[in-house]
Amino acid sequence: MVNVRLEKVTKKFGEVVAADNITLTIRHGEFFTFLGPSGCGKTTTLRIIAGLEYPDEGKLFFDEKDITDDPPYKRNTGMVFQNYALWPHMTVFDNIAYGLKIRKFPKEEIRKRVLEILDLVKLKGLENRYPTQLSGGQQQRVALARALVIEPAVLLLDEPLSNLDAKLRIEMREEIKRIQKKLGITTIYVTHDQEEAMVISDRIAVMNRGKIMQVDAPKDLYRRPRNLFVASFLGRCTILKGIVKEVKGDLVTLITRNLIIKGIRPSRDLSMHEGEEAVAVLRPQDFETERTRENVNEIEGTVEWISFVGPYSELRVNVDGLKVLVNVDPDFQVKIGDRIAAYISYDRTIIFPLREAETAYREEIRV
Amino acid sequence: MNLKSIRREFDKLTIVQLFIALFILIFFLVTPIASLLVRAFISDEGFSFKYFEITYSDPNMISPTPSLTVIQILERYKFETLPNGTRILIPLKTIYIGGVGPNFGYILNSIFVSATVMILASIIGLIAAFIMARYEFPGKNIFRVLLIIPLLATPFVNAYVIGKVLGSGGLLNYILNDVLKVTDYTIVIVGLPAVILVQTLSFFPIVYMNTLSSLINIDPSLEEQAENMGAHGFKLFRTITFPLSLPGLAAGATLVFIFSMEDLGAPIGLSGAFGDGLHTHLMSFYIYDEFRKVLSLEQVHASVYALAVTMLLIASAAFLMIKKYVSLRQYAMLSKGGRWSPRVRRPGKKGLVATYIFLVLLVIVSSFPQIGVVVLSITDWATSGILPTKLTLEHLESLVTKSDVTRAIMNSLTYSGVAVLIIVLTGTSAAYVVARRKIPGKDFLDTLATIPIAIPGIIVAVGYIVFFTLLAKTLYNTPFESIGYTFDPFVNPGLLLMFSYSVRRLPFTARAVFAGLQQTHVSLEEAAENLGASRARTFFTIVMPLIAANVISGAILSFVYSMSEVSTSVILGSRNPSQGPITFLMSQVIYASAAVGTVSIAAALGVLLMALQITAISISNYILKQRVAFLGV
Repeated sequence: MVNVRLEKVTKKFGEVVAADNITLTIRHGEFFTFLGPSGCGKTTTLRIIAGLEYPDEGKLFFDEKDITDDPPYKRNTGMVFQNYALWPHMTVFDNIAYGLKIRKFPKEEIRKRVLEILDLVKLKGLENRYPTQLSGGQQQRVALARALVIEPAVLLLDEPLSNLDAKLRIEMREEIKRIQKKLGITTIYVTHDQEEAMVISDRIAVMNRGKIMQVDAPKDLYRRPRNLFVASFLGRCTILKGIVKEVKGDLVTLITRNLIIKGIRPSRDLSMHEGEEAVAVLRPQDFETERTRENVNEIEGTVEWISFVGPYSELRVNVDGLKVLVNVDPDFQVKIGDRIAAYISYDRTIIFPLREAETAYREEIRV
Repeated sequence: MNLKSIRREFDKLTIVQLFIALFILIFFLVTPIASLLVRAFISDEGFSFKYFEITYSDPNMISPTPSLTVIQILERYKFETLPNGTRILIPLKTIYIGGVGPNFGYILNSIFVSATVMILASIIGLIAAFIMARYEFPGKNIFRVLLIIPLLATPFVNAYVIGKVLGSGGLLNYILNDVLKVTDYTIVIVGLPAVILVQTLSFFPIVYMNTLSSLINIDPSLEEQAENMGAHGFKLFRTITFPLSLPGLAAGATLVFIFSMEDLGAPIGLSGAFGDGLHTHLMSFYIYDEFRKVLSLEQVHASVYALAVTMLLIASAAFLMIKKYVSLRQYAMLSKGGRWSPRVRRPGKKGLVATYIFLVLLVIVSSFPQIGVVVLSITDWATSGILPTKLTLEHLESLVTKSDVTRAIMNSLTYSGVAVLIIVLTGTSAAYVVARRKIPGKDFLDTLATIPIAIPGIIVAVGYIVFFTLLAKTLYNTPFESIGYTFDPFVNPGLLLMFSYSVRRLPFTARAVFAGLQQTHVSLEEAAENLGASRARTFFTIVMPLIAANVISGAILSFVYSMSEVSTSVILGSRNPSQGPITFLMSQVIYASAAVGTVSIAAALGVLLMALQITAISISNYILKQRVAFLGV
């Protein structure tokens, strides 16, 4: 078990900057996820950690050891590839035993460990099959077993669930989490699926265009987005732009057109002052149609559009020209053209200064 | 790309692979050809175009007064003595095609023939490919097999058969004059028209196969979209189908152009049937003939080098043009998924009749030489006149009984066997480095490993003779004398043939391996490296097992085409006949077929080659479980 540290890592492919000055520490034993849209550089960052790509600039440390120039086969990472990369000419047993053979384990020991790990991933008895004779989920488990059996310093998972169907995906993500907890291994995970990332991770780094936008625990990321990208990537939201009228402790008052919105800052270290441009982030499901408590913002407007989603209905409400998304109970009686009032509490309303809107995350480098 | 990242690419395996590939290609391809260039441009006056001036101003090479008379109608009379002793005058009416023209001189003749063959082969190949790709009709699978018969190489003998059939006493005239009695003129086709006929018949399948694979790979929705917008029939073909099939057509046509220019089979085979004539007035034959006659390098006329360089320039220009053009035209098929059922339809009644007439005629005419070779080998046709009179196994038996024949077979097997080992080593090395390593200049290696298919063999042969003679001379009286002696083309042409086969037939294996690597996901190798395997270990435990099928099928093709290699075999073989391979013996036998009957031995060897090729193609198709356009660029 190690902690993994990236220092000012930059990687370009021609004109495209896949990793842009990334500085980050992944703690040992942590389940850490890189989350972002396709092409954001998350897989490249993972491959740099594995040694399958080398950074143009910057350094990479496992604990205090600089491994920036080590070839992949000297790093002792266990990687699960998006397409599993099982060798079709080897049985399940031989696939899993490969890394142990390279490490020159005695035959008996190899056999013992392979069978143990097969037990762990619940594939007992399939060791003589070939990969093509396995289902997608089983192939996934073999790939995981092959990466785990060498007891790697870090486990690397590159979108391992993206080739599975929806039901199996949910099953496997719990399985991966269970095994990771049991072995306590430092794990780095890459996905574009924000729900998957939320469920499985201890901490998440949200990436966009090669930059890390924010690093936080799932709940903080969702409740306290620090910039527009993170706010809109994790679930639906309404974003309203305005001018800061007042800052009182955590509470910020924002004026947008003729609407006054009160909300909180994502973090205390984010300073804001009167007269500054800022944005408010409102999640549709945080609205209520009745005023049930104190300290809530009230909006009132005309329903423009209704989408029945299933568990809820999403309304688009025109509030004096501003479009606000509001979720209501699917049985809530409303039709297009109705006037409606909705309420959202101050502590569910996030306000951050516009200058932070596109700002990426930076970690101070320990000297 | 910085220095550090380049150094990282050079692990032990890569260094070894690069060394092997570059050593073989540079020592046995680049240097000999460079020596030829130097030899052609350096005369006793230093660097000059002297040899070119002499050659180009020679009226035999470029004729200032070209003869354009293609058809001569001769009406002569000759006396014949009847059995009763009376002498009568009988008319000899002959339509003589190609006897005195066209003739523009050796250089222009070669260009004329190659261009004409290319155009004719393209037209026939395109029509055949379109029919086979777009129509469904009974018997299609049989035609699919029959259409590639002409690809079975039976060098010299196929041309001989055509000569024998079309000659004055041949089968065609027998049918026209005596059986059908449609004309009392004897039709004789010789000279350049005969060469064009022979080459078109044997080369059109190259265009056919390449165009077919282009046509099959066109996303059907592209044509459906055009139809949806109102295009149909010829307009659809002209605006959508034809442009999209151009990469295959152009690649096939260029190969035909180059193969035609370097071909020795037709001129030598036709000489066997007709004796000397305009069919030998070609650059390829001139160079061959020059080397056949001389005993040492000093006696070689300097114009040979000028001709060889001329040929090389024309071939390279054609190759580079096509590479640029095809890559410009290499439209990625931007398919977004969806239905992909090929656009195959049943022709209407008229169409069906036309299809059958075209295909049947094409198959009969184009596979006739191969059939003729088989007939020659199992009958007394070589000596019996118009039609064979009896079956005999005597010629086939000579493959194992006649000592010079068995020696030639053993020579060919040895050379091709050793060549395949070198090819597998070089081809996998080059293909792996090109496919997987990020090394500056690897495109150069890629070109080197592909270009031998476009370099006329005659040039390789001349380059070898120039370079290795020079090497032997340079090393004479030094401690390395024995090396020079070993590679001396006048002493050990067999050894050089192994390497000329290795280089000339390398592209088959290199392309097959490269294709295999492209179909193998890189992550399979990355997974092994991730688990701690070095690059060398990854190569041998993961890569090689995964591409074994491609290596084997490429090696088989390389072997077969080494066995039937002509140009370097006949030119280098003539330096020391006891080391000559099969094709050298065939050329000797055919060219000297005045000793009547020996042609049958060449035919028997041709049958042996065909049997080898059929076996190899079947095995290769079985291993790769798909048809491969194995002559594609």
